[in-house]
Amino acid sequence: MRLTVFNGSNRGKASNTAILLEQFLAGFIEQAANEYETLYLIHEKDQTRCVEAFKEAETVLLAFPLYTDCMPGVVKTFIEYLEPLCGRDGNPALGFLVHSGFPESVHSHFVRRYLEKLSRRLGCRCLGTVIKGGSEGIRAQPERMSRKLFRLFFELGRIFGKTGQFDKKIVGQFARPVRFSKLGLLGARLGAKMGDMLYWNRLLKKHGAYDKRFARPYEPDKQ
Amino acid sequence: MKKITILNGDPGNRAYELDSYMGEIENLLESRGHEITSFVLRRMDISYCNGCWGCWVKTPGECVVRDDSAQICRSLIGSDFLLFASPVIMGFTSAVLKRACDRLLPVIHPYFEIVTGEVHHRARYEKYPALGLILERGADTDQEDIEIIRDIYSRMTVNLKSELRMMRFTEDSAEEVADAIDSI
Ligand SMILES: Cc1cc2nc3c(=O)[nH]c(=O)nc-3n(C[C@H](O)[C@H](O)[C@H](O)COP(=O)(O)O)c2cc1C
Repeated sequence: MRLTVFNGSNRGKASNTAILLEQFLAGFIEQAANEYETLYLIHEKDQTRCVEAFKEAETVLLAFPLYTDCMPGVVKTFIEYLEPLCGRDGNPALGFLVHSGFPESVHSHFVRRYLEKLSRRLGCRCLGTVIKGGSEGIRAQPERMSRKLFRLFFELGRIFGKTGQFDKKIVGQFARPVRFSKLGLLGARLGAKMGDMLYWNRLLKKHGAYDKRFARPYEPDKQ
Repeated sequence: MKKITILNGDPGNRAYELDSYMGEIENLLESRGHEITSFVLRRMDISYCNGCWGCWVKTPGECVVRDDSAQICRSLIGSDFLLFASPVIMGFTSAVLKRACDRLLPVIHPYFEIVTGEVHHRARYEKYPALGLILERGADTDQEDIEIIRDIYSRMTVNLKSELRMMRFTEDSAEEVADAIDSI
């Protein structure tokens, strides 16, 4: 199988998207005849090369982080460039990977609806949408903390490379929690506090900005 | 009298009627005493967010990239109503508008909070504008597209500490839209 991968992260090569794809693709090429090509939307001057790659593709994986409950602007730019391909014969099969900073998969359910409609609009066979929450820490934390996640992404890629399908069991596992249960919310509250302290406060202090963290530079003058 | 910020996401590469329609709406709203700040996004220098979190951890509340997006953040925080306007292209609002929306991150705070049982971010300001959306349908736009757009914008407004209070189409008369904005 030949897979054309579009990395839609605004962070390009230095993204969580790239790290997750690396694991997935390592699994994918376990099958000796498989090959792939990766294009980074944000690193392209204009999107014509990406549109050409899409046109020639057999199977496409479009991967991006959730940005304000939807696709990042650069992904929408790419999608607009695909408009002339709507309904064309020979469009590729299309699969999606969406991951989000927030831990629950519900945040990405809405853009999934969009993406599946997009597949129909283009006339692409839709291979489904893999959703994974809680991705922001991946590039920052030590690799051993992501070991299990990486193993699952490798396995997802390996099975995809063999069957052309996203494994339902792994996709189901990634999707949890869809939302937090009452009990889960207690944990989430604690997790949120920890995130504030261990992630944001650490970064704020590193940049000498901790004392200014509540700044309101655009507050209208109160007269 | 309301302070109103308009983000016009017409990409300008086709014969959309949005620009002239928005001109009509703006005139009408001004004649009714509202104060309008209108941004035609395609004419502005707004780069893609680079995902650096600088607006939260380096210069809290301001993007480290100094381009025209700062004007939008300032105007938004000073407004009672924020109106997004866009043609529907490939089933969603324009890339020009989405790129600008990605740059609104400075107006919220990094700390997490639980909102309606979900993890979100905290407010940075006390007050955020009510939100509205005006769409120009494309030849291929159907009801499903409209519902998807409505649902995604409704969620976006949770992150902007606000609510989607109005959604209208360029088929609606300017009076109708102005009346709807008056009543918010
Ligand atoms: C402008 C912007 C908007 C974001 N919006 C959301 C959001 O609505 N929901 C969410 O869960 N995460 C959101 N995130 C977090 C990213 O999805 C998360 O950090 C992700 O891991 C980034 O992946 P990347 O390194 O591949 O770009 C946003 C991040 C940025 C910079």
